[in-house]
Amino acid sequence: MFLRQLDLTTALRPSLLPDETLLFVQDAVGLYEGSYKLPNHQNGHAYLTSHRACYVDNEEPRKYSVALELKDVDKSDFYAGFLKSSPKITLYPKPSKRASLTPWGPPLSVSGSARLSPTSTPPTRHGSPARSFAPSPVPPVTTATWICPICSFSNPVPTNFDPATANAHTPLPPCLACGIKPPLIHVVKAAIAGISKRQAPVVAPVPQRNFDPFASLSQTQLAAAPSFICPRCTFENHPSLIACEMCGASLVSAPDKRLDLSDAASRRIESPGPFLDDQSIESDSVECVKFSFRAGGEKIFYERLKGALVQRKWLLYSAPPVPKPNNPPGAPQNGRSTFNASSSSPIPEKGIGIAGLERRGAELRKNNEVVIGSAFEDLEALMTSAKEIIALAEQFASQASMSSNGNASEANALISQSASALGLVTTKDMLGSGSGSESLYVSELSRNLAEFLTDDSKGILKREGGIMSLVDLWAVFNRARGGVELVSPADFEKAAQMWDKLKLPVRLRRFKSGLLVVQGRDRTDEKTIASLRAWLKELHFDIPKDEVTWDWTHFGRGITAQETAQRFGWSVGVASEELEMAEEKGALCREQGFDGLKFWENWLVELPVETPGSSQQ
Amino acid sequence: MTSTTTDFPFPPHHSFPPFYTLQPVLSTRTSQLASWSHLIQAYCRHHRLFQLSLRDAADGPLFYNRALGRRLSLKDAREVVEWMASKEGGERAEWVGDKERDRFWVWWRRPEEWAGVIAAWVEATGQKNTVLTLYELTESDATASQEFHGMDPELLQRSLQILVKRGKAQIFGSDDSLGVKFF
Repeated sequence: MFLRQLDLTTALRPSLLPDETLLFVQDAVGLYEGSYKLPNHQNGHAYLTSHRACYVDNEEPRKYSVALELKDVDKSDFYAGFLKSSPKITLYPKPSKRASLTPWGPPLSVSGSARLSPTSTPPTRHGSPARSFAPSPVPPVTTATWICPICSFSNPVPTNFDPATANAHTPLPPCLACGIKPPLIHVVKAAIAGISKRQAPVVAPVPQRNFDPFASLSQTQLAAAPSFICPRCTFENHPSLIACEMCGASLVSAPDKRLDLSDAASRRIESPGPFLDDQSIESDSVECVKFSFRAGGEKIFYERLKGALVQRKWLLYSAPPVPKPNNPPGAPQNGRSTFNASSSSPIPEKGIGIAGLERRGAELRKNNEVVIGSAFEDLEALMTSAKEIIALAEQFASQASMSSNGNASEANALISQSASALGLVTTKDMLGSGSGSESLYVSELSRNLAEFLTDDSKGILKREGGIMSLVDLWAVFNRARGGVELVSPADFEKAAQMWDKLKLPVRLRRFKSGLLVVQGRDRTDEKTIASLRAWLKELHFDIPKDEVTWDWTHFGRGITAQETAQRFGWSVGVASEELEMAEEKGALCREQGFDGLKFWENWLVELPVETPGSSQQ
Repeated sequence: MTSTTTDFPFPPHHSFPPFYTLQPVLSTRTSQLASWSHLIQAYCRHHRLFQLSLRDAADGPLFYNRALGRRLSLKDAREVVEWMASKEGGERAEWVGDKERDRFWVWWRRPEEWAGVIAAWVEATGQKNTVLTLYELTESDATASQEFHGMDPELLQRSLQILVKRGKAQIFGSDDSLGVKFF
């Protein structure tokens, strides 16, 4: 199954797997299967993550949202659009995912697919999801070579060598000429260079008009070769630029102005293509899936898609753990390693008592040293061991925060936890442009906020008693972003006001004084009043601390905003606003005394009002 | 004029602390003002008071609950009286003199009502077409059992004026010795 049903978060965005990060969002996207439109999948958001390409429908997101695992993607094509035909990105499934008789036969890229579909699994690595495929019909041919640093002999990179997963465990063959094992980094570099070279000859099976010859280059080459030609001055810009370096024209979606008849036309949902009438979205025989970009954003989507396909973060998820301390440390670096991952590791010694603990600590430190040392030697090597380094960094961070006397407030702790967990950040550069760029940013931010608030693991709203002021939320949210891509107050307020429109589970509420607060949709005024009333009822049985002169068994006693804040975990500002709300609804009445404002059950409305004179008339 | 024979039994809400803070919310405030109006009228009826002075009453038991340590401020008390005097409050009070706004009539029975009560008494005792002095009406033993016994002379005059207008009575005589004849 190429297209799968997609799980959505409370805010109707794709729920991400651990380690998955959001790369790009674009609205006004339609979905094709083969050359047919998929019914009910013609107006939605496209989300590109490090692991998947997702389509979330605008109308019925829970029903018509699908995802496509990038690991199942064999290759991708870019079609720039022509006259009234929107730009499209085509994704082809891997051969094993395709029906046996596809019109195009075996994909051309198989010759270069050593990295895409490893056919022989090294014995040390098990359980990687990418390895469960049937072998490709054509044996992979490797073209990558590494030059021995000792004797300069040009050796082939082993076919099963994968630069994304390689680490100190990976067995490396010695140089064919001198028999000395190469350093890991050396081979990784050579393999990556080989991959980027191999990418170039891959040709799309169906030649298309307006096909950008640069589009099929890998990201590494793109970094060197500028590919975005400015539509105005034809200057070749670096692909990561949004505006032309020369003339400042927007590069993001640079449709020909003559073709762009109107905003409405560029966003049209009804496009002339035929619809697919059967509902077999999840059938096995998908030949390819097309994303049609009706409001631009296709170029950035394609760039990031290619980046994600090269980086293949999903492999990291199943990458082997940090090297064990009882392996000979530093083996890959000194070039004369004798270790054989499967056989040479000695039986781990069992440390007993304090000595054992100390030894274990020393080994752990040594191991950390090795990991950090090797990681920072080279950028590519850092990429291969990114997972370990991130784990280490998080561990150090938690140790650092523990040693700071626990001074950090709850919010700080929360932020340090969530900063790394906050994978779903919405940033302006993550979103496609086009006619609705600004509103797309705001609505994505709005969803992002709703997720941030309702995330049970963080429990931000719960910690604040189910209600918090918008200003507080803004501060916490921006701090959780770690100081980058901060949200402006104006955007923030706009995003918060979108909650109602997007039917998200949180709502923005404006108190009489103008204070804006955030609370769950299920928390209504009636519920607040009911809980206040229940509390005041309790006070009828609660013997007052001081001598009181009124009948407290009948009237209870007055409560201040401070007490209320304490009782319900609200801030004092929120508490007094809630009390005033209840007062306005007639549930409470106030007493302005020397010791401040107190609120009481409203006995005043239940008093007899008839006058003696009228009663006698 | 005042007869403090027994203590006035204050209603329970007289010792409800928020009763002494004028409420900002309209519906609650209306109910509160009505209760105050009710309380003031009942208090005056009990003590047979026809006029009150805000300044004097502010320290009295009506507006100042010493046991509770709460009092209705002069300003709020004035609000209450204003409300009582308004149409909404049933015109149960009236300022004495327009300027000072200190003394006020408490109409636990309005002059028209008093007129009705007196006319009914005259009818019941068969004193139509006889002449009675005003002093006789309020101070004689014959009226001791009546509510208008010991009534404020100014109020009595106002009430009789209403009867005169209706053509049911006639007042004659000079300032000191006024007489009234009922028809």
